[in-house]
Amino acid sequence: MTNQIISVVRVRDTLMVTLPADPDDVTVATLQEEVLRAMERYRPRGLVLDISGVETLDSFFVRTVTETSHMVGLMGGRTVIAGMRPSVAITATQLGLTLHGTLTALTVDRALDLLNHPRPRRRLS
Amino acid sequence: MSNKGRLNGKAVVNGIEGLGMQAFLAAIVESSDDAIYGKSLEGVILSWNHGAEKMYGYTASEALGRPVGMLVPAGSPDEVPQILERVKRGERVDHFETVRVRKSGEPFDVSINVSPIRDGSAKIVGASTVARDITEPKRLREALTQRAKEILEVSTPVLQVWEGMVVAPFIGTLDTQRAQQFMERLLDRIVETNSSVALLDVTGVPAIDTRTAQHLIETITSVRLLGAQAVLTGVRPAIAQTLAHLGINLADVVTRSSLAAGLRVALDALNLKISSQDGAA
Repeated sequence: MTNQIISVVRVRDTLMVTLPADPDDVTVATLQEEVLRAMERYRPRGLVLDISGVETLDSFFVRTVTETSHMVGLMGGRTVIAGMRPSVAITATQLGLTLHGTLTALTVDRALDLLNHPRPRRRLS
Repeated sequence: MSNKGRLNGKAVVNGIEGLGMQAFLAAIVESSDDAIYGKSLEGVILSWNHGAEKMYGYTASEALGRPVGMLVPAGSPDEVPQILERVKRGERVDHFETVRVRKSGEPFDVSINVSPIRDGSAKIVGASTVARDITEPKRLREALTQRAKEILEVSTPVLQVWEGMVVAPFIGTLDTQRAQQFMERLLDRIVETNSSVALLDVTGVPAIDTRTAQHLIETITSVRLLGAQAVLTGVRPAIAQTLAHLGINLADVVTRSSLAAGLRVALDALNLKISSQDGAA
């Protein structure tokens, strides 16, 4: 059976959540609970969802992630999705799943920068 | 012997000046540049026209009575038995591309049509083959495919112009295949160069349709999902007009009319600026 462990680590006041390569529906559903529990425990200012290991994604995954991000927002935190693979990005776009409104970052490093230096990401206009 | 016959489905009473119908039809075969030869159901060559002499190099006297298998290059799969089987069943073989060999030993590409020959009682008594040398057409076709492949490779480079920034200058029209390839290459390069801004320049795109616009939007969305920002530059009046007419909403997309203007935006996003070396900004 493939690794289905979601790792949740606190780094300063950021929550680092790493998803396994091929998360099944049960695992994706667990994500929200894990995050909620950790939010409760650590009251972090931000959440980094590291999906650099994820090779496949579906609409359930995207919906859950979007919801989780909303939840975090309601609790006063910000979410950044980091490390999406090109192939996953293409699939998501073609399926019309745009993760609209959620912050994204190329790497976990960048994600941390984003969260810790809230220089309004010069929303280009 | 009757001079009645059919030519192209229309009844023709006489042959032509001085020639009866049979002779007339035989002359047509003989004057053709295509190789036309008849064979028995066992594959023995029974007729051999001028075109066949030219194509294969055997004179009629050299070819008649010989097995048609001698035209197949040694080491090549011999499809002749299968072809003859199909003909015996009354089937035709059309536009079959294969290799044959000349008397000189030189193999060459041909396209052959084989059809059954029936006698007066419609019984199949032989097969007739029309062969065309397709060496040149095949060479042109392969050159064309190669050219198309090269164009695909050459025209979508993704260049890193500064740390954190890549530029992808699009040239020509964006068809689905190119768009897909472009998108994949762009995303890979963004990850490779760790870039936060990608300038997609369409100055070199003469026309844009719904499909193309759709692809561009998909690409821009994918870039955003990755965590970088995409700027569409080089949007000229013609393209702007088409996009407006198509009702395509580029509200979420940052666009500029020139690459230079796009560069300004990118530098801003990277918190960089260019200043002159003698201190003047």
